[in-house]
Amino acid sequence: MSAIDLNCRPALAAHVRLQIDPVSNEPVLLFPEGVLVLNPTAHDIVLHCNGKAKVAEIVAALSDEYEIDEATLRNDAVECLADLLARNLIVVKS
Amino acid sequence: MNFRPYALLAELTYQCPLHCPYCSNPVGYPQGQELTTDEWKRVFAEAARIGVLHLGLSGGEPLARRDLAALIAGAQEAGLYSNLITSAVGLEPKRLAELKEAGLDSIQISFQADDAALGDAIAGTKAHQLKLNAARFVPEVGLPLTLNVVLHRRNLDRLENIIALAEELGAIRLELANVQYYGWGHLNQTQLMPTREQVETAVAIASAAKERLAGKMELIYVLPDYYETRPKPCMQGWGRRYLTVNPIGNVLPCPNATSIPGLRFENVREQALAWIWNESPSFNQFRGTDWMPLPCKECPQREVDFGGCRCQAALLTGDAYATDPVCTLSPKREVVDNILKAIETDSLAAEWTARRNP
Repeated sequence: MSAIDLNCRPALAAHVRLQIDPVSNEPVLLFPEGVLVLNPTAHDIVLHCNGKAKVAEIVAALSDEYEIDEATLRNDAVECLADLLARNLIVVKS
Repeated sequence: MNFRPYALLAELTYQCPLHCPYCSNPVGYPQGQELTTDEWKRVFAEAARIGVLHLGLSGGEPLARRDLAALIAGAQEAGLYSNLITSAVGLEPKRLAELKEAGLDSIQISFQADDAALGDAIAGTKAHQLKLNAARFVPEVGLPLTLNVVLHRRNLDRLENIIALAEELGAIRLELANVQYYGWGHLNQTQLMPTREQVETAVAIASAAKERLAGKMELIYVLPDYYETRPKPCMQGWGRRYLTVNPIGNVLPCPNATSIPGLRFENVREQALAWIWNESPSFNQFRGTDWMPLPCKECPQREVDFGGCRCQAALLTGDAYATDPVCTLSPKREVVDNILKAIETDSLAAEWTARRNP
């Protein structure tokens, strides 16, 4: 399994769909036999996972919106993406 | 929300080209007209409104419905993530492209074994090569492929080869489900039940493969519950997460619920799905923990396994309210132990009864 580094470009895996749950209004990832509810930060990160933006660029884009220091945000983003990768929900390109 | 349906299993038809001796369909098929295209589309829309996100299109064989693409389009319109649960017999490239075009999200193909001789013997028809042809085409059209293999005495020793087949076909998921003994599976229990030795070897193989394939292919191994000491959390609780609509429109808390004597089920032709889910007697019969007998009622596991399986309790103890007899705390555990003892000592029974179409 490849790890998440700041230069890789994450994208949602082909079998994963992002949508808003009409009952709870929460963002969810749907995939065969599964549902993952995303917290607001994870949702923002996933919205930037287009296979083109590098992790470093995603963090930079989000740091404009979030009032936390960039080091914390970077750690949070890498942790979140590593979790999604371990669940086969994203793919990463170099 | 405590009781919210996340997934709907739509059994579109009882027709099937396969004759697997463990089929989950009822042995005595209910009589009635299959739901029409428009009726199913209405069910999908109603399901989405009460919280359903996942739709399993199953049967019988869902490809037997000529309107399958229209049904998938209806699911797409309702915002459901659709999964086609199929034997893949009749899944020609042109049909698959049509289903993908209609909005199909994923596909699950059943295999009976890793090779044609055994696979065809279990399916009761020459299906294995057709399945291979179809499965090879699935990644080409960009659909995620799940393989599902029901495991039992006659194919459990082939587990390593079965896992290798899933890898070779590029599956992203592999469901290895030991037979559940309801309906046809119960009828053929003596022929299907693996030995303890087989089960222990298989668990070790599955665990090793799960670790080896992490990040590449998700491997789900459903344990044979008779060999367990605690019951499975059947359906994640009665009327809690799942609902099934059968070919004639009856709404069931689990696909086998018609086997429970005395339960009456509502029909989507007569009642709104929301009412059936929330208010109907059948969906409330075993909901929560208030219905539970001892020892379940005072068991710290009651919110974990929900007392096990109601169909299994009814089938093996004659009482649908009883603790699932798989549980070693059940006063009726000996029923399960006696079945297992017979498997180890009796000679292998002759032929199984192949599934028939209605």
